[in-house]
Amino acid sequence: MPDWITIIVRSLLMYCIVVFLLRVVGRKQTSQMTFSDFVVGIAIGAIVALISLGIIDNLAYGLIGLAVWLLFPVLTNYLALKSKAFHDLLYGRQTVLIQQGKVMEDNVKQMKMTGEELLAQLRRKNVFNIADVEFALMEASGDVSVLLKPEKTPITPKQMEWQVAQAANPQTVILDGNIIDESLRNQGLTRNWLSTELEKAGVTVENVFIGQVDASGDLYLDLFDDAIQLPKPTTKALLYATLKKCEADLESYALATKDQIARKNYQEAADQLLQLLEELRPILKR
Amino acid sequence: MTVASQVKQTLASLKGAQATLELYAQQTVIEQEQMAFANSLEKISGIIVMLEKRISAMEFEEPQYKGF
Repeated sequence: MPDWITIIVRSLLMYCIVVFLLRVVGRKQTSQMTFSDFVVGIAIGAIVALISLGIIDNLAYGLIGLAVWLLFPVLTNYLALKSKAFHDLLYGRQTVLIQQGKVMEDNVKQMKMTGEELLAQLRRKNVFNIADVEFALMEASGDVSVLLKPEKTPITPKQMEWQVAQAANPQTVILDGNIIDESLRNQGLTRNWLSTELEKAGVTVENVFIGQVDASGDLYLDLFDDAIQLPKPTTKALLYATLKKCEADLESYALATKDQIARKNYQEAADQLLQLLEELRPILKR
Repeated sequence: MTVASQVKQTLASLKGAQATLELYAQQTVIEQEQMAFANSLEKISGIIVMLEKRISAMEFEEPQYKGF
């Protein structure tokens, strides 16, 4: 058998083994890899290359080496899952870099970081002012995680005591001009409903690239033809405005009438509407 | 425009809003929203009844504006 055929056969064999086994061993993104994963990956790659090019003559020896490099990490990973101490030994621990707003210089030095590098890492997290940082640590993977001081963290609706509508994931009902029946059914809608909505918007299914229905049943369409301007769904905003106008009307009737009972009724109705507007606001105005 | 016809207009827009709300109550899959819609529908129908009564009272008092 000529050498080149041997190389092809060995390469194909190695490719199949490695791809299949790496599937089994685990799936970690490059960004989540720790340094030891990285080293293992390089070692496996080197062994595979050496075997497939025939530099390691004895196929069995090569495979033994490969098996150890592939399977031993599986074993250590398993142990690391079971034992925290072993995990820390294998992958290292996170190190506190900034605590209570003060830089821990010793820890920074220990991580072989200069002050400039620390600042650069913070800037990557969009923190340009070290005074804003309450707490920062370096993860075992080398990433820096930052917790800002409470007064510098973004405001959440809860802090503002705002009522917000519950979030629900939208369903994609049209993709590339094709209706996806499954997502329609998930939302409790039918093809009939969809065709009515499309007719309202004045487009055909074939012209829709993406169509999504949000939880409250509003349809958003993106067309192939970007020159066509679609009307934005304004029904909710309109509904809110209508109710608000009714509330104002009732209030003015209450002021205008001389009939005491009618005045009271109007005022009560206006109050009720006001309360209702408050309740519907997060749903209608998002 | 007479007061009676203004009140009638408000009644009409309230009825429209009620219909739209009913539609949304049917469409939404979020339970919290369904409850909010159902609650508002109830309140609005109460107001509608009140307005209808008021309109018939006004028409009784001033029959010359009936139908406007």
